[in-house]
Amino acid sequence: MTRSRAAHALLVVALAAAPFIVPQFWITLGNYIGLYSIVTLGLVLLTGVAGQTSFGQAAFVGLGAYTTAYLTTRFGASPWLALAVGMAITLAVALMLGFITLRMKGHYLPLATIAWGMSLYFLFGNLDFLGGHTGMTGIPALNLFGFELRDERRYFYLIWAIALAALWATDNLLDSRPGRAIRALRGSLAMAEAFGVNGARLKIIVFIYAALLACVSGWLYAHLQRFVNPTPFYINQGIEYLFMAVVGGAGNVWGAVIGATVITLLKEMLQDLLPSVLGRSGNFEIVVFGILMIALLQFAREGIGPWLARILPARRPQPVPEAPPLATRERVEMNGPLLDVKRARKQFDGLVAVSDLSFEIRPREILGLIGPNGAGKSTTFALISGALSLSSGEVMFRGEPIGNLEPYEIARRGVGRTFQHVKLIAQMSVLDNVALGAYLRGEAGVIRAALRLDRAEEARTRAAAAHAIACTGLAAHMFDAAGSLPLGKQRIAEIARALAADPVLLLLDEPAAGLRYREKQELAQLLRSLKQQGMTILLVEHDMDFVMGITDRLVVMDFGEKLAEGDPAEIQRNPVVLEAYLGGV
Amino acid sequence: MLRCIKAIAFGLVASVGLPNAANADINIGVTLSATGPAASLGIPERNTIELLPTTVAGQKINWIVLDDASDTTKAVTNIRKLIAEDKVDVVVGSTITPNSLAMIDVAADSETPMISMAASARIVDPSNPKTRWVFKTPQNDALMADAIAVHMKANGVKTLGYIGFNDAYGDGWLAEIKRSAQTAGIKVVAEEKYNRSDASVTGQVLKLVAANPDAILIGAAGTPGATPQKELVGRNYKGKIYQTHGVANPDFLRVVGKDGNGTLLPIGPMLVFEQLPDSNPIKKVSAEYITAYEAKYGKGSRTTFGGHAYDAYLLIAQAVPEALKKAKPGTKEFHAALRDALEKSNVIGTHGVFVMGPQEHNGLDNRARVMIKIDNGQWVLAK
Amino acid sequence: MDLSIAALLTQDGITNGAIYALLALALVLVFAVTRIIWVPSGEFVAYGTLTLAGMQLGKPPGTVSLLVGMAIVAGLLEVYVCIRRGEIARAPRRLLLWTGVPCVIAALVWWSAPLNLPFPVQVALTLAAVAALGPLLYRIAYQPIAEASVLVLLIVSVAVHFTLTGLGLWFFGAEGSRTPAFASASFQLGNVNVNVQSLLVVGTSAALIGVLYVFFGRTLYGKALRATAVNRVGARLVGISPSFAGTLTFAVAALMCAFCGVLIGPITTIYYDSGFLVSLKGFVGAIIGGLVSYPLAAAGALLVGLLESFSSFWASAFKEVIVFTLIIPVLLWRSLTTHHHEEDE
Repeated sequence: MTRSRAAHALLVVALAAAPFIVPQFWITLGNYIGLYSIVTLGLVLLTGVAGQTSFGQAAFVGLGAYTTAYLTTRFGASPWLALAVGMAITLAVALMLGFITLRMKGHYLPLATIAWGMSLYFLFGNLDFLGGHTGMTGIPALNLFGFELRDERRYFYLIWAIALAALWATDNLLDSRPGRAIRALRGSLAMAEAFGVNGARLKIIVFIYAALLACVSGWLYAHLQRFVNPTPFYINQGIEYLFMAVVGGAGNVWGAVIGATVITLLKEMLQDLLPSVLGRSGNFEIVVFGILMIALLQFAREGIGPWLARILPARRPQPVPEAPPLATRERVEMNGPLLDVKRARKQFDGLVAVSDLSFEIRPREILGLIGPNGAGKSTTFALISGALSLSSGEVMFRGEPIGNLEPYEIARRGVGRTFQHVKLIAQMSVLDNVALGAYLRGEAGVIRAALRLDRAEEARTRAAAAHAIACTGLAAHMFDAAGSLPLGKQRIAEIARALAADPVLLLLDEPAAGLRYREKQELAQLLRSLKQQGMTILLVEHDMDFVMGITDRLVVMDFGEKLAEGDPAEIQRNPVVLEAYLGGV
Repeated sequence: MLRCIKAIAFGLVASVGLPNAANADINIGVTLSATGPAASLGIPERNTIELLPTTVAGQKINWIVLDDASDTTKAVTNIRKLIAEDKVDVVVGSTITPNSLAMIDVAADSETPMISMAASARIVDPSNPKTRWVFKTPQNDALMADAIAVHMKANGVKTLGYIGFNDAYGDGWLAEIKRSAQTAGIKVVAEEKYNRSDASVTGQVLKLVAANPDAILIGAAGTPGATPQKELVGRNYKGKIYQTHGVANPDFLRVVGKDGNGTLLPIGPMLVFEQLPDSNPIKKVSAEYITAYEAKYGKGSRTTFGGHAYDAYLLIAQAVPEALKKAKPGTKEFHAALRDALEKSNVIGTHGVFVMGPQEHNGLDNRARVMIKIDNGQWVLAK
Repeated sequence: MDLSIAALLTQDGITNGAIYALLALALVLVFAVTRIIWVPSGEFVAYGTLTLAGMQLGKPPGTVSLLVGMAIVAGLLEVYVCIRRGEIARAPRRLLLWTGVPCVIAALVWWSAPLNLPFPVQVALTLAAVAALGPLLYRIAYQPIAEASVLVLLIVSVAVHFTLTGLGLWFFGAEGSRTPAFASASFQLGNVNVNVQSLLVVGTSAALIGVLYVFFGRTLYGKALRATAVNRVGARLVGISPSFAGTLTFAVAALMCAFCGVLIGPITTIYYDSGFLVSLKGFVGAIIGGLVSYPLAAAGALLVGLLESFSSFWASAFKEVIVFTLIIPVLLWRSLTTHHHEEDE
């Protein structure tokens, strides 16, 4: 048994024993901490990991609470049925809201969450059948296997069973194929989409996941209080959940529990402590609470969780075991070009960045695309990889037009790529980063991952990633955080990630930029060996020495047009090219 | 929490089963809304609690006051804390209706008597095994709404417009005034809502004025009640303006200024006790309370909400000696005895005369309301 | 609804919209320079009105003690920094600036409150006292974590909002206040009665939009200030200290909010907790402006004011529902039509 499992087991035992040992009021607080943890857990995933700030979770809690309150008091429905209905309603509402608001980027999203939070609150308060602002009384206690959960101590078990299950599922989710993609949503969306992640869809799924957790918490809340009114679902409670997530440490599932616990207990302590220091109750709790929070975030701006994690000994990574290989792409020998760029054109308003460019890449060659600054190389790269759409012309890959496909559609067809500015997820290990490259080779979804039914596929993915890492000579850094590697190694890691996708064509965007001499040599070595193994590579590069040494053919661009094409020796002698390079300096 | 830690420090022993030594003191838990939207109601209540004596019938009384920030979840946490940690014999609170409703289940489950300081009759009616444990000191909204309707009818009002808070207070009043108005044959021609801290109520007021009712009732508490009133006066509304007893504090007079002249409202008699005839028994009780309150918090600082807290104390003070005859404080038997004694209350309070019974856990009647009028920044008894 | 009612509602909407616009401008200003979503801006509005109201009543407002308290904390922080850097010689000057100046303002307010000085003097003192809180707040709460993520800065803002609201309740009580009008006159325009105070609010907003637009769009220093938000190291390289930029911004923003408070005091009642909803609506405007454009932010704020005014006429119970539901399509439209750079938020 590993140490972390032992810690988890200890936690479960402690929670199970708590109702027999601790004073009554601890159970009261424990119940609320559990309820808040469930909601905050959703926020950890949505905001902390996926980077979608939401102030509106309290409204989803309200949906869960009001659905069960209404169904059980007006129709005498079973609370369990009401839970199902509540989740269905939440799903529908979240789907609709997510569909509209998750298209918003930047700061539009948080405001939209405030907007629906406010709307739902005033809707609850003004619908007479929901008891208006005054609220609904007489919600029945829950029954579970014939036990009436009226006593708080019994309810404690239900809340924490659900909270632990949610923690377990969320932790599983983060450590999986969809989990890696979710972690990429924040700040690395373009990269993730290049490896086949459908970002918009995944955002909605995460949003729904968080909303459902909030709904379950609301359902539990309603049957614990046996009363609902709109105040607990107002926007300030939504802010409080976000508060808990950030204070606990929004990057980790335990941050949710830590945040909920710290905030709840701190408020109780202040309520006990302050009146004896400063006199009467009421005035200063919120003031001191605010000041303490400011101080805390100055002291540990990532929240308490990561701060604790630094103190505690780190978990030793397990070596990646061998596993049956993932299915590989069928490699048909082709007679014609692998990639054929036909009169590709890209126009930004008045500016023509790429003007009717044509060239081809033949199987098993390294083609260099070079040119001075502003020649249109990067735009061409973006046109091929799908990051930009063509103004006119066409790009054919293995005889199929790909010119106006989404990046992930192009990736699916066997085109792997790296980025000019390295796009690794800094806190994630090299192994996980590379495994993200194999996204399209797996199919485990959120539910399978959360329930840990994806382990066979996951083992194979990890083995494939480990293999790609070994191929590129990064095995020693497999478990290091990607952000901790020097730039040269990060570029190599990007190539490993592209290889994990099992591509036919590899697009490299200035892979030598910023590398030192030794690193360039290693990179050249790697590219040669890849070619030997049958890979076709398009190299967009700036560094002439590097390109001349390893390419089979070169395409030279200037002012968006093709200037010359030929093998390195020809190009070096070409007067037009010399003019463009030397004359331009 | 501190107490929690102490509890642990003094031993898990006690919680595992050894009975606590019976505490001879009487513990009274109070939860009220001293912060948040209802702070203007909760603060005078808290001020009043601070004035109260610490012995009753020779027994020491510990008042434990907690703030619930006008939040239902916090109110429930507070009552659970008071019962579990402080072992209170009776709970006073909370200030507002939703909080009080949310607390009922906890009070009933733990068999602890509770005296609410909120307005809605729903807190104590209908009488059932839960509300058995719950009492309340403020006049029911209905009693006050009836007073307004009767006054309107007597003054020839045929149509009524309503504007009130978009919250539980405003909703409660809207429901009651509709019922009372119907009984009195008055037609409600416009219903508008606004938020306590709204910067402007122009839209609502324009609509009210367009409907041109004979009178307008503003269902608000504290200074926010002045916002629609000033707007109505500014828009040259000529009909009568009624307020609810929620506005009866000196700050309202300050903010509404001369625009408040002629405003009518129903009120517990305590506010204008000086103007009551000496024969009214409420006068003496009110005088005692208000003299003490104003001595501490300044002349003219009286509000009716403080009176609700004081009345809760009066009820308890009367019930404690009865209950002490039957059991020791801190025991289940004492709680039950206290409840029984409260149910038999016949007490003269600051707001009226409480005559309780098994079906009547408020016990106030028409003596608990008078109509008053604002006249040059003073509350004056209306004829 | 006839035309005169529509005109009245429009006037009301524009007045409120102008208030939100002032806040929206302050929010955009603060965000553009420091990346802080300045939730407590509304508290500065409330403090402005309530401080002035306190002076009207002849009572030294609680703002004074807050000012002194924060000045002492900021002074200690500065001295600590000086000592840690081994620049003890600079400490007295820093102390004078951070503790001395605010304390002088506080002393002036405290001393003058019971004197019942002329109204303009009271307004000036109020503005000085509340504006001085801005830089102190930045120094104490934000400067130590100026590089943190937008989310963390936002949460710190929320914590500051809690603290200031709590203090507001303690200083000013739960009940609201109004202040005297600058100008109580009104005149007929067609058949609509126009309030001069409202015109003042609208005029001030419009003027400030112009000033900020020109300052940040046209002047070198303004552009440099904006650059500090994007690239703090770069700003330092070209000679702008991010902490100085932050301090200056907070002083200006706090002054704007305090002025806003003084302006609206006569037309509405302000409570210790009025700030949140007002700043939320200012925030809506700021976001519609993409947190960068002053004119668009003001236009957004005006839109909110008008929506609010008309929906409170049509269905007052559902006013917030209507306002906040209707802004979602606007947000969507803005989001889809703005270029957006992927950033690590």
